[in-house]
Amino acid sequence: MSGGWERLKGSRSRTTRDSSFHTPAPSRTVTLGRVQPQAPGHRTIYCNDREANLPVRFKGNSISTTKYNFLTFLPKGLFEQFRRVANCYFLLISILSMTPISPVNPVTNVVPLSLVLLVSLIKEAFEDWKRFQNDMVINNTLIDVLQNEKWVALPWKKLQVGDIIRSFCRGAFCHLLVIGPDFLTEFLMLLCHLIVSTFSNSNFAAICYHLSFIGKIEFGNVKKDGFFPADLLFLASTNADGTANLDGETNLKIRKALERTWDYLTPDKATEFKGEMQCEQPNNSLYTFTGNLIFQKQTLPLSPNQILLRGCSLRNTEYIVGAVIFTGHETKTTLAKGNESMGILNMGKVMMNSMNVPSKRSTLERKLDKLILALFATLFIMCLIGAIGSGIFINRKYYYLSLDKAVATEFNPGNRFAVAALTLFTLITLYSTIIPISLYVSIEMIKFIQSTQFINKDLHMYHAETNTPALARTSNLNEELGQVEYIFSDKTGTLTRNLMEFFKCSIGGEVYGSGVTETELGGAQRNGIKVQEVRKSSTAIHEKGFNFDDHRIMRGAWRNEPNFDACKEFFRCLAICHTVLPEGDESPEKITYQAASPDEAALVTAAKNFGFFFYRRTPTMIHVRESHVEKMGKIQDVAYEILNVLEFNSTRKRQSVVCRYPNGRLVLYCKGADTVIYERLAGGNDDLKKVTRAHLEQFGSAGLRTLCLAYRDLSPDTYESWNEKFIQAKSSLRDREKKLDEVAELVERDLILIGSTAIEDKLQEGVPACIETLFRAGIKVWVLTGDKMETAINIAYACNLINNDMKQFIISSETEAIREVEDRGDQVEIARFIKEEVKKELKKCLEEAQHYLRTVSGPKLSLVIDGKCLMYALDPTLRVMLLNLSLNCHSVVCCRVSPLQKAQVTSLVKKGARKITLSIGDGANDVSMIQAAHIGVGISGLEGMQAVMASDFAIAQFRFLTDLLLVHGRWSYLRICKVITYFFYKNLTFTLTQFWFTFQTGFSGQRFYDDWFQSLYNVIFTALPVIIVGLFDKDVSASLSKKYPELYKEGIRNVFFKWRVVITWAWSSVYQSLVFYHFVTISSAGGKNSSGKIFGLWDISTMAFTCVVITVNLRLLMMCNSITRWHYISVGGSILAWFLFIFVYSLLRENVFFVIFVLMSTIYFYLSALLVPVVALLGDFIYQGIQRCFFPYDYQIIQEIHRHEPDDNTRAGLLEVGSQLTPQEERSYALSQLPRELSKHTGFAFDSPGYESFFAAQLGVYAPQKAWDVARRASMKSKPKTPKRN
Amino acid sequence: MSSHTASSSNGGNGSGDSGVPKRNSKRPKYSKFTQQELPACKPILTPRWVVSTFMLIAIVFIPIGIACLIGSRDVVEVVERYETKCIPALNRTNKVQFIQSDANKTCTISMTIPKRMKQPIYVYYQLDNFYQNHRRYVKSRSDEQLKSASKENDTSACEPEDIANGRGAIVPCGLIAWSLFNDTYSFSRQNQSLTVNKKGIAWKSDKQKRFGKNVFPKNFQGGGLVGGATLNESIPLNEQEDLMVWMRTAALPTFRKLYGKIEVDLEEKEVINVTLMNYYNTYSFNGKKKLVLSTTSWIGGRNDFLGIAYLTVGMISFTLSVGFTIVYFVKPRRLGDPTFLSWNRGPGSH
Repeated sequence: MSGGWERLKGSRSRTTRDSSFHTPAPSRTVTLGRVQPQAPGHRTIYCNDREANLPVRFKGNSISTTKYNFLTFLPKGLFEQFRRVANCYFLLISILSMTPISPVNPVTNVVPLSLVLLVSLIKEAFEDWKRFQNDMVINNTLIDVLQNEKWVALPWKKLQVGDIIRSFCRGAFCHLLVIGPDFLTEFLMLLCHLIVSTFSNSNFAAICYHLSFIGKIEFGNVKKDGFFPADLLFLASTNADGTANLDGETNLKIRKALERTWDYLTPDKATEFKGEMQCEQPNNSLYTFTGNLIFQKQTLPLSPNQILLRGCSLRNTEYIVGAVIFTGHETKTTLAKGNESMGILNMGKVMMNSMNVPSKRSTLERKLDKLILALFATLFIMCLIGAIGSGIFINRKYYYLSLDKAVATEFNPGNRFAVAALTLFTLITLYSTIIPISLYVSIEMIKFIQSTQFINKDLHMYHAETNTPALARTSNLNEELGQVEYIFSDKTGTLTRNLMEFFKCSIGGEVYGSGVTETELGGAQRNGIKVQEVRKSSTAIHEKGFNFDDHRIMRGAWRNEPNFDACKEFFRCLAICHTVLPEGDESPEKITYQAASPDEAALVTAAKNFGFFFYRRTPTMIHVRESHVEKMGKIQDVAYEILNVLEFNSTRKRQSVVCRYPNGRLVLYCKGADTVIYERLAGGNDDLKKVTRAHLEQFGSAGLRTLCLAYRDLSPDTYESWNEKFIQAKSSLRDREKKLDEVAELVERDLILIGSTAIEDKLQEGVPACIETLFRAGIKVWVLTGDKMETAINIAYACNLINNDMKQFIISSETEAIREVEDRGDQVEIARFIKEEVKKELKKCLEEAQHYLRTVSGPKLSLVIDGKCLMYALDPTLRVMLLNLSLNCHSVVCCRVSPLQKAQVTSLVKKGARKITLSIGDGANDVSMIQAAHIGVGISGLEGMQAVMASDFAIAQFRFLTDLLLVHGRWSYLRICKVITYFFYKNLTFTLTQFWFTFQTGFSGQRFYDDWFQSLYNVIFTALPVIIVGLFDKDVSASLSKKYPELYKEGIRNVFFKWRVVITWAWSSVYQSLVFYHFVTISSAGGKNSSGKIFGLWDISTMAFTCVVITVNLRLLMMCNSITRWHYISVGGSILAWFLFIFVYSLLRENVFFVIFVLMSTIYFYLSALLVPVVALLGDFIYQGIQRCFFPYDYQIIQEIHRHEPDDNTRAGLLEVGSQLTPQEERSYALSQLPRELSKHTGFAFDSPGYESFFAAQLGVYAPQKAWDVARRASMKSKPKTPKRN
Repeated sequence: MSSHTASSSNGGNGSGDSGVPKRNSKRPKYSKFTQQELPACKPILTPRWVVSTFMLIAIVFIPIGIACLIGSRDVVEVVERYETKCIPALNRTNKVQFIQSDANKTCTISMTIPKRMKQPIYVYYQLDNFYQNHRRYVKSRSDEQLKSASKENDTSACEPEDIANGRGAIVPCGLIAWSLFNDTYSFSRQNQSLTVNKKGIAWKSDKQKRFGKNVFPKNFQGGGLVGGATLNESIPLNEQEDLMVWMRTAALPTFRKLYGKIEVDLEEKEVINVTLMNYYNTYSFNGKKKLVLSTTSWIGGRNDFLGIAYLTVGMISFTLSVGFTIVYFVKPRRLGDPTFLSWNRGPGSH
């Protein structure tokens, strides 16, 4: 994770350097992670000439991601298996059991081991087979290759280096979607830099650059065959300027072909293309390429800009023509696969087949290792006791053992030490069953089924809109999902839809808009109010950016409102005061607005829907088509002259436009944060101000983003004198921004308040409710976002992460003091100062927090910290303080954080607090965080695949976390805990009976049970039921799990796999084994049937084994919370299997010859078979009875509360879930009647377009023209004295 | 799995999917299994269940216990320990030497019958501290050899009693056979001898399947040291019932083995004289030797353990069931009482 910046710089410097081919070798040692040392020399490729390339023997384009082939499968697969300690142990034991010191037949250990290996190998083979099939699909995908002047569709695998191919972008919609601000990834910065440096003169590039700074750009849908089959040299595209847009992931990249090759688009032209290419050897560096194209006797240098990487896809370009450079396993993306840990390189992982599932081990499994170690210790102690005993016991007096002859060392009384030592080994093989060999493979099977059958196929987690089911990409972490304590969430795309919608407004002291936000819905549900779903009136307009309905002001109705003048000003302000560029057809239906922020677009869209349709911007004019202004139904086009634009920035928090009406009226329209607007209002009209403030607060608490609108009429004289100052400031060379701000202050005063707007930063469906549920489950949700503080806090309000009852700690770098120091510009000073400040703040907050924690019912705490402060707070000296503070906080919001910081915060909690963490995100900037956390969850469906590729689980919606954690996670945790403890119990019990027997055999290590009993105990007689429990056990139903999220806390506290639990089981084992051994042996003394015959060793051990098998299987039933017919089948089947086995087996083997028939001919057998299991289970039963009656677990109470209810999930309900279309915004009117809480939070969160310069400054990049520059230009060009009329 | 993920990007754009035919839907199919809704019985261990389970155990176990105890008490058993008695007083300081000498080891003991014993009366010998279950001992036999004459030389497991010096394989080989018990008993009452039937003391399966009918003892006890009894080389193994009994090795170091049956009733107070040949050496390892006469009932020989265990468990269950009932009435916990939920119980549920 560390060194992201250095890497970036390194790679940048690499890409910017003149990429001529003859660069000296040292320059190729890029600091881009583990770049392979490049092979000396270069490859020469003859384009479009297969024969010429033949001698070089380039590798083919078929790829194989399989691990094994027929020959290597066994050795390699076995090697993989024996990397597991448990398997190695059993291999050793098996070898030991071949030696004469073993008391048992080798089969005892070989059979279980082989079975376990067999199952594992079958699984491996199955997975490899799937990989193989996938490879086949990819290798056989068709691509157009130029052959004999025609495009011939050939499978990918037939492709050869030098071929000319044509790659389509099929099914692309080519629509542009600006998704809104998001923190940019390191990659994006790099990319932008790349583009800018290449196309510094190109307008198109500049716009793309601008857009990509604003956020993610998505280009619709691409079919599979839009992927590039190999690394290509880009020759030509259908775009006239030879560019092609690629989708590496979510992010747009632009590639530009060499001008010389632009023409080679058609087959007949392309056939003529005979170039020779000299380029570097295959390597894994994604962003570098050096090579020359020798073409028509000219040497043209090639750069990464002409390279199309395999697996990337083409966007909004019909097709491109390219020449194959690297194929198959030599492509850069394939080679770069190893660098998975580095977020920056992840973009190459779009390749369909380069999906290495990240391997993480669950915390529970690590704890399991400790348990296994404890078992090893127990084993050793048992063996030691036995060994010492044997050393003492062995004696020549037992003449019948014939010890006086030259006896083997292992029994030689002359050397007691050697006897003890050898017996130690003997006993290790004898007691080897204490280590549950099938445990790992059983758990693996269980988890595999859990993830593939339950998680992937859960209809509750299927998102119909995007047609995305949940996907568990790894099955290692199922139970980890049941223990998550901290969730780190990205904001954009995860919590929010990245969609701004005009939702409500307050005009002249009247609230309009009838919608109910998610936040309010959540609040209502908390208060137990049933939300009546009232369908919206069919006339309601809902388009992108506009989700508003109020018959009082729609369709011109505002004319009848008492405050219709205010309405008019309001709508005009919306239509005029902005920096939006209209695009497309000038009709209300077809126009699209390009805006610096989606808020702005939403506002202009709103104006359009209110009848003030802004349709054209010229450098000096804004054209608005106004309806109903003079009388109902009348539509007129009005052109307003824009005289000045006073821009938005984060200090001003407002934006103004001075415009001249066609009738000469001069007005300044201003919109901005309530705080700054209120300061500048003219006196009087206090009622309106008060009412509007109340509305603002109401909006704020509903999670809406607010803006205040105001205007001021200017007299021509006032304006003239001001404009002079403005122009002066504008043309000043030093401190221009500052001077502009100052001038703006002069005119932005005495404003008249019109009203306020409320924009909903649309949350993903069900987010507040989900977060509420997670809170109740004891999970803490942290939001880590690249957004600025206001936006982040606003969203936190909207999601219920923060509410007004909470004490907020805000640690921000946007303070006067810091700004002052920053202005001085001394980097060292700045760093020192901020660090001091942060330290001071942290200390203060921590003290306060501790104060609050001491008070009994203190408020809940929340912490808001921004990226800059976080950078210092993460310093090792302050880290502990930060951790202490944040762990005490109910919720934490980190804003303006970089991807790296996201990962740092995650690992701070993961490593510092040793809590189980989950990260959820949707974009490339979340990758590092996703990989850093215990569990990474990617949001799949709408966005790119990058986060999903790095994740362990992919879900379509944030709200599915409830199902994933509270249902699947919790169940998995419970089940795995049960499986592990049960395995522990059954093996310990079994081994202990053997141990007790050792005491009565003179510690000789004689086995109590027959070899086969022992070897099949684990793999047949007790194997299946426990798997059934691992799959089907559930304490409470899924809906109850969600209804009582508090149940989840049991997982966080790890209630079911503590040492205490293990010890309880261990006691049970000891007790039961004592019962088994002693009850059976004592009761078997004496004649055992009416003919007085006596049992031998094998009769008794078979009896004991029968009791063990019956008891252990019944014990399993006792611990089940729900018993399906599979339980009965497996438990009954296991017991039956034992009897079937022994009936057959006793006919065959000498030791146990006819034993079962002998046994079953006596009444003793039946009496014991009833007595012993009952006595053995009695202890556990008493324990369970007492525990349940007096110290019930939470889930048990819930079970009892709902004991009479049938399983609530019915098929009908599920079908409804599935068929349910988008929960179209079915807001209820009823909710608007709810009592509203008022707060000081007014939710100002307008995204200032200026904030991107933050990144540009970081990069030292020249920020090119911005959209709003257009407006600025307009204002500069205007000639105020001679207004023109259009 | 990978194809799964890769293609899910295609379905990515929501707006484009409305017209997609059903077959492209990735909606998982409903099944009770994948939705984890298999019908299940959900047992809840309520106090009522606990109490009634204990009650049931008590109701079932106490009668069985009583029956077992009665059955066991019906058995009349006389035990006579004789290993010291049968050493002449003079030799008692060095019993091992005596037993290994050629001295006359005839010994007479008498047993008084406490209660009328109905025939058949089983005669057992009981050895103590004799580890028939020692690893070296247990494996020192060859089941193949015992079963068929052709496998006579299959003696690898029998070491060190496998091959007699120069005379080929020992049949039956191994330490178990070698250490065959060789004390003999003859019974008489009022000078009238009682026949001991030595037939039918081994399990039928041993007789029919495990020991071959054409396998004859060979070179038995031919080694340097004689371990125990010798066998009549003219009788096939499957009729050597003493051997069969002996070779069904005991599980514990204290064991009884059937010696024979007396097929007449013995009256109360009768004195039985036993003339026994005290050959077997248990003196080396301080093993006790006991002679046991016992009748059987439906549960076999005298063994109070089962009966007592059943009774005890029954009684405990009964007590527990009463105890639970009392506790339940004194300090009841209402079923599903939400105040017991941890988040309602503890202060500060954050």
